Amino acid sequence: MARAYAGTKLIAVEGRPMALDEAAFENAYRAHAARLRAVAFDILRDRDGAEDVVHGALIRVWSTGAYRPERGPLLPYLIACVRREALDGLRGSKRRHLREVRAGMDAPRTVDETAALDPIEARRVARALDCIPDVQRDVIVRAYYGYRTLAEVAQDTNLPLGTVKSRLSAGLRRLHTELTEGLR
Amino acid sequence: MNHLDDDAELYALGLTDRDRNAEIEAHITDCADCRARVIAAEAAAAALAATLPPVPTAARRQTWWPALATAAAVVFAATAAVQGSASYTARAELERTDVALTAIASSHFGHTTLTSEPGVVAKALYARDGAWCYVVVTGAPRGAHVVLRRGAATRDAGTLDAGGAATLFVRAPGHPDEISIIADNHVVAHGAPVY
Repeated sequence: MARAYAGTKLIAVEGRPMALDEAAFENAYRAHAARLRAVAFDILRDRDGAEDVVHGALIRVWSTGAYRPERGPLLPYLIACVRREALDGLRGSKRRHLREVRAGMDAPRTVDETAALDPIEARRVARALDCIPDVQRDVIVRAYYGYRTLAEVAQDTNLPLGTVKSRLSAGLRRLHTELTEGLR
Repeated sequence: MNHLDDDAELYALGLTDRDRNAEIEAHITDCADCRARVIAAEAAAAALAATLPPVPTAARRQTWWPALATAAAVVFAATAAVQGSASYTARAELERTDVALTAIASSHFGHTTLTSEPGVVAKALYARDGAWCYVVVTGAPRGAHVVLRRGAATRDAGTLDAGGAATLFVRAPGHPDEISIIADNHVVAHGAPVY
């Protein structure tokens, strides 16, 4: 990530390269932390781990200047970063096992930051998911909500790896179309 | 480099490996088409995240401090600690925190975990030049004080504010030998900064 925009528009502030306006970033943190924690928590099933992942991802984004406005809206970008970071943290069977154990215990859930998730948006996404072909939805659900790797999805579905990849790709593009057309 | 093709979506879903990610990120700095495709894919993936279940209510974190390598780390950690309470909405408090964070972000600082009673987690961040000190505590009794000691002299730096994570920003504390948190005449947490 550091490489992404290295050397482009870094502005030196008092000898320190400043990647992104600090106030803007802090505001982004305030606005998005709950949502990002929810993403990380669902992967790791560990509050402390989730918070560390969110901090880690934000610090990296801030300190490396990996994000520029032309890179797209900040929130989806941050969600993708946090997800990648959390999935990295899950690598290794021991950690994965720990996650399963924690998920199994499933302490009674109460809502921490209700603002984190929007039920109307959730319904809209569910409807859009309904509109995409079954074979595409199946691999998306396995990979995205099941946190399976590409190889694991291929194994679970008895599909060649290439097929899994192309279905995921086509499915996500189709989902994007459904979501953006649904707005009209 | 060739265009990303399916990898644009796989990257957005977090399914590409670290080495490939670096290539992808390098590629999309130059290639507007692939960048647009990644942005669209990330938007769709973020929408999927909207249906994730909420985070369970916090059991107070014991180790909410990430490795402190940069000022950025402090800002985020302090914000997170302060923000930890869902009921944290008071505007005045927010502004006060902003002042503290701005000071922190532009300073060289140290940090220490205070030795605490069970149920109390306390951290102190401090500028090495003695310009400020920022204390963040969870689980302290209401009305607890922060006391700074240097040699034989002590200074009551003030009362911790209320809230999920109580905080106190101290201007010009100098270089205290010890930072303590005191409630009802007994020490609930204490620690020594290293300058």
